[in-house]
Amino acid sequence: MSDRLVQRSDASEFRKRYQWLALFVMLAFVLVVVRLFELQIVEGADYTSQAHENIVRRVPLPTTRGVIRDAQGKVLASSRPAHNVTVVPWRVLLSAVNGKRPDSLADALDTWPKIADVLRLNPDERTRFQIRLKEACAGASWDDSPEERRKSACYRPLLIREDLSRDIVAELKEHDEELPGVDVALLAVRFYPYKTLGAHMLGYVAEIDQEQMQRVRPANFDQLSADEKQKLNPLGYEGGDYIGATGIEHAWESTLRGTRGWEKRVVDARGRYRTGPDAKRLLDEPAKQDPLPGRDLRLSIDVELMTAIEKAMRPHPAGAAVVVDVRTGRILALYSKPDFDPNDLSGGAGRGRVRETFEKLSTDPLRPMLDKTMTGSFQPGSTFKPFSALAALENKILDPEDRERCDGYLTFGKRVFHCAHVHGKVNMHDAISESCNVYFFKLAEAVGMDRIAKIASDFGLGQKTGLGINPEAPGRVPTRGWYAMRYRGQFRIGFTLNTAIGQGDSLVTPLQLALAYAALANGGTVYSPQIVRAIETSDGTVATDFPPRVQHKVHISPENLARVTDALAAVVSDPRGTAYPARDPGLEVSGKTGTAQTGYLAGKNEDSKHAAYFAQNHAWFAAFSPSRAPEIAVVVFLEHGGSGPTQAVPVAMQIIREHARIESTRGPHVAPPPLLPNKPAPAIVQDAGTIDTPAPPDDPGKEDDDAEAP
Amino acid sequence: MYRLGSRGRLLGSAPRDTFDWVLFLVSASLAVVGVVNLYSATSVVRASLSDLYIQQVYWLVMGGILATLVAAIDYRHYERLGYVVYGGGLVLLLLVFVLGKDIRGSSRWISIGSFSLQPSEFMKLFMIVALAKYLHDDPKNEGRTLKDLVIPAGIAMVPMLLVLRQPDLGTALILGLIFASIAAMMRVRWSSLAWLGVGGGILVPLAWSYVLKDYQKQRIYSFLNPDTNIQGANWHEHHARVAIGAGRVFGEGFMKGTQNQFLFLPEQYSDFPFAVFAQDWGFAGCLLLVALYGFLTLWAVRVAATARDRFGAVVSIGVGALIFWHAFFNLGMVTGLLPIVGVTLPLFSYGGSSVMTVMMGIGLLMNVSMRRFAVSVRTSGLSFLESS
Repeated sequence: MSDRLVQRSDASEFRKRYQWLALFVMLAFVLVVVRLFELQIVEGADYTSQAHENIVRRVPLPTTRGVIRDAQGKVLASSRPAHNVTVVPWRVLLSAVNGKRPDSLADALDTWPKIADVLRLNPDERTRFQIRLKEACAGASWDDSPEERRKSACYRPLLIREDLSRDIVAELKEHDEELPGVDVALLAVRFYPYKTLGAHMLGYVAEIDQEQMQRVRPANFDQLSADEKQKLNPLGYEGGDYIGATGIEHAWESTLRGTRGWEKRVVDARGRYRTGPDAKRLLDEPAKQDPLPGRDLRLSIDVELMTAIEKAMRPHPAGAAVVVDVRTGRILALYSKPDFDPNDLSGGAGRGRVRETFEKLSTDPLRPMLDKTMTGSFQPGSTFKPFSALAALENKILDPEDRERCDGYLTFGKRVFHCAHVHGKVNMHDAISESCNVYFFKLAEAVGMDRIAKIASDFGLGQKTGLGINPEAPGRVPTRGWYAMRYRGQFRIGFTLNTAIGQGDSLVTPLQLALAYAALANGGTVYSPQIVRAIETSDGTVATDFPPRVQHKVHISPENLARVTDALAAVVSDPRGTAYPARDPGLEVSGKTGTAQTGYLAGKNEDSKHAAYFAQNHAWFAAFSPSRAPEIAVVVFLEHGGSGPTQAVPVAMQIIREHARIESTRGPHVAPPPLLPNKPAPAIVQDAGTIDTPAPPDDPGKEDDDAEAP
Repeated sequence: MYRLGSRGRLLGSAPRDTFDWVLFLVSASLAVVGVVNLYSATSVVRASLSDLYIQQVYWLVMGGILATLVAAIDYRHYERLGYVVYGGGLVLLLLVFVLGKDIRGSSRWISIGSFSLQPSEFMKLFMIVALAKYLHDDPKNEGRTLKDLVIPAGIAMVPMLLVLRQPDLGTALILGLIFASIAAMMRVRWSSLAWLGVGGGILVPLAWSYVLKDYQKQRIYSFLNPDTNIQGANWHEHHARVAIGAGRVFGEGFMKGTQNQFLFLPEQYSDFPFAVFAQDWGFAGCLLLVALYGFLTLWAVRVAATARDRFGAVVSIGVGALIFWHAFFNLGMVTGLLPIVGVTLPLFSYGGSSVMTVMMGIGLLMNVSMRRFAVSVRTSGLSFLESS
């Protein structure tokens, strides 16, 4: 046996090669070591930070939007939790994915039918979503690479239901184990407990749109330096954020919003969060920045009064009402009709509802989205007369005791100007209380347009008030100069006559008129209107208090003012006064009615009912109360409401009565609640420099350079 | 270290005296470190895979038994049976096409009971034995001509082509490189070498067009542009490199390498265990590991140099080449020196066929080493590797 095995063969052929082989092997491994040296020693720090970036993610922590409260502390806008449910298509509808299933899922059933049951989808929704799930997975296959999976909608969550009820959420949680691929996300939804009440004033929030995103986060945003980012996007907006769209929500966005925080979390390659000591060890300091909640707003608005206004306005389809405290310029009520429910527009009831609501609102001829207290401007009609009268008195053009004869009309050249009645011989007092146009035509002829315009402008008519919560219409008090620019032809005296009675090209907003009447009531002080009384932190401490701000004082003699306000008192108290029939004997009210012609021309094919409505006059009543020591100014405006005396006055009376009642229930010392003294703002305020920087538009400090001390 | 008798007299042939302790200790160290690393690598995966390291221990034990058997039988029996073994291997390779399980687009395995066998792994050893047998029987001291190379090249080509058909580029490449390493031992005429160069220059582009699959070409493109497409084709390589780099000097500690712990390393137990090791143990650990592979390879060259006959020398060179090319390609691929080719790291990567092949290879080395005494160490020309 050993003979057979001993077959030596000479290995000398190889002898010279061993050294070369050994050298080659050594060189090869040295190459590997050099490469390792490069990776681990030379570039080690880079790779370490890359490895760190791979697993540590900054997860944004949501902040809460500030609460808006009325003067009494009643919540007008806050945030409530909402649950949205998403499903991952492939996970719930395995049968929709093509190809052969992996073994681990071979026997798994589609969970979609069960999910649809739990969500109580109706048969229509069920089929609709099933089609969407199938479409999402149309191109998907079990063999997809991770890259393909990242791209395919089949692996991305699909929103099925928004704002689930608690019962359904509880049921989903209970079946958590059996229903993989279903996720319930908790988010905050803006909530307006009074629904439509004060909708225009409060506004609503909406998901940030493409255009806004472009502005705050342009395509190259991630490459910018921290400073540039801060400048461009000081409030840290991100896609999907909700942002104040109109009203106070919009104007005070920077105060209400708050600042998002972040927390470092350890995340694995599949995007799952890891917890526990092993994960925590990897987090570098600082590991967390707490979110700063948004600041709360305390309004001067009294929601109880708003409720009363809503009730008083119930018979009228469209209009506005403003109540101002004549002693401070603070707004107690700001009401516009028709209105909308900001809850529907703020996404709480789902995106579908938002779209639906917008469509409905934008086609309504009564323009429910328009804030008629300030964004719409209208002919003031006879409510303008006190200012014409003041112009005459201040310029000493005529003796107020002189009587003019009213035959019910006046002819100027070829044109005939009408009055409501045949008033007989009237002096200024009677002309105001009985609303005689003829007297004012004659007055205007003597005084001239520009003198009237001067006084009206002094009282703030035809100018933006600077409240700024919604776009303001400037209104218009026409002057000769304006007509010269507007009309090529000869200036006509008729322009002046119409201006004196608030017709023609005169336009005011109900808010302007209310502030002007407040100035009549308080002796000529025009206030910058305020709706936000204070900024508070979430624990109720006042962070910033806004004292009343005088915009300016009208230079006017007290006797002349008294003469006009006496006449305004007579409008209500004198049996011949236009508002006398609708007066409330228990109330002391001074005011002026107005019935403004709108000059509406019906279209050819217009529905007659529609045309009849729009052909009606605007009804006004501008008033203050109590007459002798005025506290509030009230303007009621009924768009195409008909006659001021018969329609607007009763509404205003009801509002004033309700105001008095509300005040009496509270007692003088209860309302408004004492504000806490200004404390130094907590330290976090300084950190969040962004919160206070963009001055809110109605921050009084910005407006009146020539303000006098109150 | 192994012992020479005093005064150069060789000790008797009892295994206790001839046993190659260096080979044993180096191999055993690699196996132990490999299992420990596999434990770290699989500590993060699903339960069904998390006991892979135990499986690996079973494979190592089985491999150890096989290696002992392989080492115990005088290798001249293998020389005698060289072609039979080789033929058997080819049959197994052909069987793959009939019985093979298709896993991720290629069929490399045959199932025997609950085991999956990868014949291409064993084929590496069978080819080495067949080549050794041929060269043993065909001693030449003057330069070989192209004609002399036809048969050995054929012995390598047949399994290579079969493996390429599976397709398994990595194994085919290793087979080719083992053959090349053995061929580098032979004296070939310069003119023949020149012809080989020309032939290679023609074959490579042809292979690119007709042999390589699209995904294989993609890997080469990715290798040439490593920083593009990190999310897609370069995912493996990129994250492996980050893991290695992040290990820095002393590593993050056993089972603390974040790239693996947080699942950034796919194939961490098959093709990329070194990335796990590198982040856990850092440059220091890597240096030690590379030194172990280097030493094992050089030891194989030494065994070849001291082999008592041509068969032993060629087998040792073949087994050394097998370990070297596997280690070099795997390390090169994981560190980004070479394109991604699915080549395992000997004793580190999980896999029964791979482990048993390497163990049997080490058994062969042991066999040659234990029966080397016919040739004097002095004459080996490898004096720098000598131990006292």
